[in-house]
Amino acid sequence: MSQATESDERLLIEAAQMDPSRFAELYEQNFHRVYAYIARRVRDRAEIQDLTAHVFHQALANLGKFKWKGSPFAAWLYRIASNAIADQAKRKVRESSDPAADPSAESSSAADLEEVERRARLFSAVDKLPEDQRRVIVMRFADEKSIREIADELGRSEGAVKQLQFRGLENLRNRLQEK
Amino acid sequence: MAERSIIDQLDDAVAALAEGRQINPGPELSALAGVAQDLIGLPRDTFKAELQQQFIRRDSMSSPAEQLETNSVQSLSLYMCIAGASAAIDFYREAFGAKELSRLAEPGGRIGHAEIQIGNVVLMISDEYPDYGVLSPQTIGGSSVRIHLEVPDVDAFAEHAIKAGATLVRPIEDQFYGDRSGQIADPFGYTWIVSTHKKDVPPEEVQKEFDKFTHERTAKNSAEAYAVNEDKMRRENRRAVTPYLTVHKPAELIDFVTQAFGGIEHFRAGGSAGGMHAEVSIGDSVIMIGGAEHIEPKPTAIHLYVPDVDRVYERALKAGAKSLMPVVDQPYGERSGGVEDVHGNRWYIATTFAPLQTIAPDLHTVTVYFHPIGAQRFIDFVTNAFGGRELMRHAEGDMVMHAKVQIRDSVIELGEARYPTQPLPTAIYLYVDDVDSVYEQALKAGGVSMLSPTNQAFGDRNAWIKDPFDNVWYIAAPIK
Repeated sequence: MSQATESDERLLIEAAQMDPSRFAELYEQNFHRVYAYIARRVRDRAEIQDLTAHVFHQALANLGKFKWKGSPFAAWLYRIASNAIADQAKRKVRESSDPAADPSAESSSAADLEEVERRARLFSAVDKLPEDQRRVIVMRFADEKSIREIADELGRSEGAVKQLQFRGLENLRNRLQEK
Repeated sequence: MAERSIIDQLDDAVAALAEGRQINPGPELSALAGVAQDLIGLPRDTFKAELQQQFIRRDSMSSPAEQLETNSVQSLSLYMCIAGASAAIDFYREAFGAKELSRLAEPGGRIGHAEIQIGNVVLMISDEYPDYGVLSPQTIGGSSVRIHLEVPDVDAFAEHAIKAGATLVRPIEDQFYGDRSGQIADPFGYTWIVSTHKKDVPPEEVQKEFDKFTHERTAKNSAEAYAVNEDKMRRENRRAVTPYLTVHKPAELIDFVTQAFGGIEHFRAGGSAGGMHAEVSIGDSVIMIGGAEHIEPKPTAIHLYVPDVDRVYERALKAGAKSLMPVVDQPYGERSGGVEDVHGNRWYIATTFAPLQTIAPDLHTVTVYFHPIGAQRFIDFVTNAFGGRELMRHAEGDMVMHAKVQIRDSVIELGEARYPTQPLPTAIYLYVDDVDSVYEQALKAGGVSMLSPTNQAFGDRNAWIKDPFDNVWYIAAPIK
């Protein structure tokens, strides 16, 4: 993280500590990171969503306790996420009494966090695609719809939808390479 | 088997990934398939936006803990009903940069529920469902809710929206409370206040400026000034051609126009011929209504644009009119039907097919429709007498079936009288620059004088002419 964005982030955090309505900006900046972090460890979409919501609610509730020590805000969020995932796993173990499940919080390696960061950048890049490509990518990957379902809904041919999917993925690849 | 295209191959890979299968793409595809692999589990737009709403909603709460303790309202969303919801979503995307989050549509395209995001706010939209009382501003005739958008650069934002089809309602100006703002209307009946905060103004100063503003307005509205302004405004807003519906029972006709077409009465007084004179606006137009038991009636045929012809047609029948023609789609791009009220006026009610407009481009809400015997001679008369200019005609042989003629800033329509549209001579109030010269011209063109130019007590100089088709023209101008 560069010097400029680091001080920007610090200002955002201080603003949100004084006025919780400013938290939305921190949310906007970190949503994809937290989501990607959790998605790397949890498979089920509903569970990922619950955990993501939990992390941000926890962060907002405890924002006053956050002290700036030079590490990025995201690292703090990852710690909340990691604890939440571990808690959930422990609950599951108790419920299923499956001794094979490992309830200990997984520690995150640098390579692991780099991977999360890369994926978060990819998710954010989807928002910047041309609208028709974005819609196809979102319907296909987030809403998990088939090409036919998307074609029906958008009133376009399946060929056109596949074409948009192809262009969208191409665009995303190019954007990630630019970084 | 022919080699599948790279686009199809990529989709095969995506489908396999979606099912959780391992893939082994060729070198050509591996980079794209890698992106696809990373996209599996992409968060849903709706989830991200809804979660974000939860954080914005906390605005008014002093602390998150406090919010958890109270059973306060969790969210407030606008749920907009729009006739043509799909076109509206396209428009909001174009004009305001809205993002579509979800859409629940019937096979015919009617939208039961859709969500869009503008900035960090989620709006809900549906089409009309009259059976459930879900009606749009187009049908109701306006919305009492205006939507406020805070943007970084209001001028650029408004300019962009106007290019996309919005109209400017109030100019973008610096306001006394520290905002720069104005109002724009979308083509679907909603008004949007767009605003950029420029500077903080202390509350006392805002109150002071507001008091000043209130005081000035009150002064302006003091009784005398009001009367003068109102009168002047009426005349300024009036177009050249205003139909004058003369009937035996004008008060009843006003009731009908109000009930059936949502007309708004602005003015009612004794008329110069001893009957009543009233002015009623419908949509963007004004009609005059007058007459009395002892005055010969002059009903009028009117082409009337409304947002929803089917509803208005039903309403007119309920208000006592009889059907001339049921509502059907017309080959010329309108859906229309016709009724005749008990006073003999014919109302050709129409809605255009064009998605973003309710009125044909060159017309207004109200257009007078003439049914002369000898349409060609009628066109000649209005051309010679009033400087009319033929805009279009549709003829079969020599017979003019339908034509439009421009007179100053107004357009009239006409068609040869034929069964069932028998001639219906009418009366028109016609504003001109110089009453005397137009009166002379109209006489030369074949008109017969009913009243030579006279200054009237109500502030107009006017002259009355009857044309060879029995229409009466009140040629008028404000007394200088």
